[in-house]
Amino acid sequence: MQSFIRKPLAVASSIWIFLLLVAFVRPSILATHATTFSDTTFAFDKPSSQHFFGRGQVGEDLYSFAVYGGQNAVRSILIAVGIGALVGVPLGLISAWAGGRIDRATMWLVDLLFSIPVIMLAIAIVAILGSGITSAMVGIGFAMITRFARITRAAALAEKEELYIDAAKITGLSSFTTMRRYIFPNLIPTLVVQVAILSSIVILIGTGLSAIGVGAERDDADWGAMILRASENSLSEGYWLFFPACLPLLLTIVSLNLLGDALRDSYVPSGSVTSLTSTRRTAKTTTADLDVIDRAALFSVASLSVEFPTAKKQSPKKVLHDITFSVKKGEVLGVVGESGSGKSITMLASAGLLPAPGQITQGSTYFDGRDLTTATEKQWQKIRGNDIGYIFQEPIASLNPALTVGNQLIEPLLVHTDLTKKEARAKAEELLAEVRIPDPASRMKQYPHEFSGGMAQRVGIAMALACEPKLLIADEPTTALDVTVQGQILDLLSDIQTRRDMAIIFVTHDLGVIAEIADQVIVMYAGQVVEQASAENIFSSPTHPYTQALLATMPQNHSGDVDKPLTVIEGTVPSQTSIDAGCQFAPRCTYVQEQCTVTLPTLTLVGGSTVACLRAEELQSEVVNLTVSSTEKVTQ
Amino acid sequence: MAKYITFRFLSLLPLLFAVSVVSFSLAVIGEKVNGSIAVQKCAEDTSPTCVATIEKNLGIDKPLRHRFVSWFSDALQGDLGISNQTNGPVSELLLEGFWPTFSIVGLSLVLGVSLGIAVGIFSGTKPGGARDTVTSVLSTSFLATPSYVIGIFLSFLIATKLGWVNPTRYTPTEDGYFEWFKSIILPAASLALPTMAIIQRQLRSSMASALQSRYVLAARARGVSRNALVAKHALPNAMIPTLTVIGIRVAASIGITLVVERVFGLNGLGVILSDAVTNNDIPVIQGAMLLVATLVLLVNLLIDIAYGFLNPKVRLENG
Repeated sequence: MQSFIRKPLAVASSIWIFLLLVAFVRPSILATHATTFSDTTFAFDKPSSQHFFGRGQVGEDLYSFAVYGGQNAVRSILIAVGIGALVGVPLGLISAWAGGRIDRATMWLVDLLFSIPVIMLAIAIVAILGSGITSAMVGIGFAMITRFARITRAAALAEKEELYIDAAKITGLSSFTTMRRYIFPNLIPTLVVQVAILSSIVILIGTGLSAIGVGAERDDADWGAMILRASENSLSEGYWLFFPACLPLLLTIVSLNLLGDALRDSYVPSGSVTSLTSTRRTAKTTTADLDVIDRAALFSVASLSVEFPTAKKQSPKKVLHDITFSVKKGEVLGVVGESGSGKSITMLASAGLLPAPGQITQGSTYFDGRDLTTATEKQWQKIRGNDIGYIFQEPIASLNPALTVGNQLIEPLLVHTDLTKKEARAKAEELLAEVRIPDPASRMKQYPHEFSGGMAQRVGIAMALACEPKLLIADEPTTALDVTVQGQILDLLSDIQTRRDMAIIFVTHDLGVIAEIADQVIVMYAGQVVEQASAENIFSSPTHPYTQALLATMPQNHSGDVDKPLTVIEGTVPSQTSIDAGCQFAPRCTYVQEQCTVTLPTLTLVGGSTVACLRAEELQSEVVNLTVSSTEKVTQ
Repeated sequence: MAKYITFRFLSLLPLLFAVSVVSFSLAVIGEKVNGSIAVQKCAEDTSPTCVATIEKNLGIDKPLRHRFVSWFSDALQGDLGISNQTNGPVSELLLEGFWPTFSIVGLSLVLGVSLGIAVGIFSGTKPGGARDTVTSVLSTSFLATPSYVIGIFLSFLIATKLGWVNPTRYTPTEDGYFEWFKSIILPAASLALPTMAIIQRQLRSSMASALQSRYVLAARARGVSRNALVAKHALPNAMIPTLTVIGIRVAASIGITLVVERVFGLNGLGVILSDAVTNNDIPVIQGAMLLVATLVLLVNLLIDIAYGFLNPKVRLENG
């Protein structure tokens, strides 16, 4: 409600609607003359201090006519919206609740009436009931039934899906009671917004009907009738005659629309429409320590930090902090961490794909001897899909549903090579065969929805491999897939990797996958790298308490006692807002000391691993004991 | 695709039949409320045979079922009965009003849809930018202004003040396409501006969400250029909800033209219908309703077909 009041436009609209209601209840308060006041000698007098809007054909006061016209406006809303809501809302509710044949029959009927324009329907009903504003409004109300029925049904169906309705059903409430007690109250916000919007349509159409003489009587105090009279005299007397009717009409329609928008916003906090493709880097030059850049590596990222702006006046949310990693030619780097640890954002930002409004605040990227830190979108376009392939987590969502798979598969080939379309198709078929998709030629002509998740991911891999990239970034490529399919995809990837001697960055939350495929590993937690080591070291001597806890959760490391529950890490990854207050893992750490909540640990080389933990050295010296005991401690 | 179009076309037939039933029942309800046309015509003639003779002549003494069958088979052949007012065939009267009205609607849709799509892409690819803000303000004001008020303003500014074009009557295409265009451009523009605003708003939001989708991100990761991302990847998907909005707007445009053409003094269907209402000329209204509803249904068929082109899922499941 507060946000509603803060909007000046919504307040102005409310004031206007209030004035309209005053005009409806007691127009004499606002009007200066009676509607019966006339004097033909002063016909068409221009506006003056006595007659604010001038005088009409018979010398009537147009301002007072405009005020009295408000009565018809409110009356028409009451009749038309009233009929529409009283019949349409129950109809929509019944249709949604009954489902099946009743629903289909009702909606067929509603769609049928929808094909007759509201004005046409109103004209027909006026023809039957006889001229007059009331029959015009009944006609419009009849048409509004279909609008209300459709909207109510759609909203009720969405509510019906909600679990708590099932719960109500199970507890034995009758359908009617469920509808009245659970569904209908939740529809009220939607309906209130619709009442405002449909009211504006009713006014628009009602006035239009009176303006062509189907509705209010010609001499009535009605905005439509005033437009009709003005149009008969505007050529000789001037267009100002339209003003007294058009001004309140426009104000009313605009107010109703603005009120509808404001009410909607106050019920549903609207997600601001953000973003599109290009991600602007605020910091073109970086403060990255050049020593950490591994120039021998194929791909290296140094001191990458990313922020997301939050609501006004709050400091932006820091999502990544000083991420540094590199991958050598032909090497597989595993990136591991829980959901929300910033793995995907790291990869997107590294490949210049960070979605807006995210901003890279510092960091540099080197690829194949080139500095890509300040690369433009155009330069990136030449690298992505060509030298760097990217595989996404959700294979089907990553394919465009409107285009054939073949059309998308040949895209990287057409963009990055000189192949003709025909050659590209032939090459694409080869690629599909390489990722073991049977019958490639006919598969190329199909659409993404005809593919299973596993098959779609094979297409994703084929697409990423099309231009024989030097580096493949695979962001949880197997997470959304069945366990059996996961294994096949992993085998496929490691097979292709050895054959092509390609570097892979493999992002996953599954340490089992890391064990199978990775040479080097980085462990991420809350937007930071907490440990970096060879895969061998990670599994034989995990140093960071988080790495240890992750290893302990692997079912393989479970002690084999079936009665014992599987290990979990208590707590969740913190939202990245309080990063300055010591180690982020501290609240969940079994080795936490007082200093951990104060001092932020930095990556330091301890033994064979680089670890961000204040107690790293202590922990590593006892590493053999700890891997055993931590398993127990974490389960407590 | 051929299968899908056939399926869509066949599902149109029961709708057309139902529209005929609705139109026919209009006359029946009218008789129940106001008494048959024969009773009205015989108001001054007191002879006992008057009503019966006229009813027999018009064939309205027969049972409803028979009347519907003969009305329906006549309607299929383009015979919509006799106007009470002019005593001429309804179809001729409607045809006279048809061309002005549908020229205006047609031109307004061509202008409104193409501009709406262009501006929608223009603002949707950079939401929040300066050009987005400007177009949003403009489309919000067009959206809230009734076409006939825009029409009044245009006729004041362009026709009266500037005197560029001054349509007072509809000029058929036989008198030259430019003359025809000049006679309908102002009413068409009045209708087109809100159409443009509605389509722009829809396309802007669906374009923005399509550009944020996974498949656009994946296409970017393949090195696809920005223009191709918009035109090839985002636009077809963003157009799907926009088509639904266009369909709704077609029906609304036909309705609101009836008012707009009056503002410009063009004698299309609007004039014929308001005269018919004043004279209780039910056959004309009945015929107009059938004509308008059929047109709306046909346009919706075209939109469904376009929908099938853009959405392979719909096409393959129903084909």
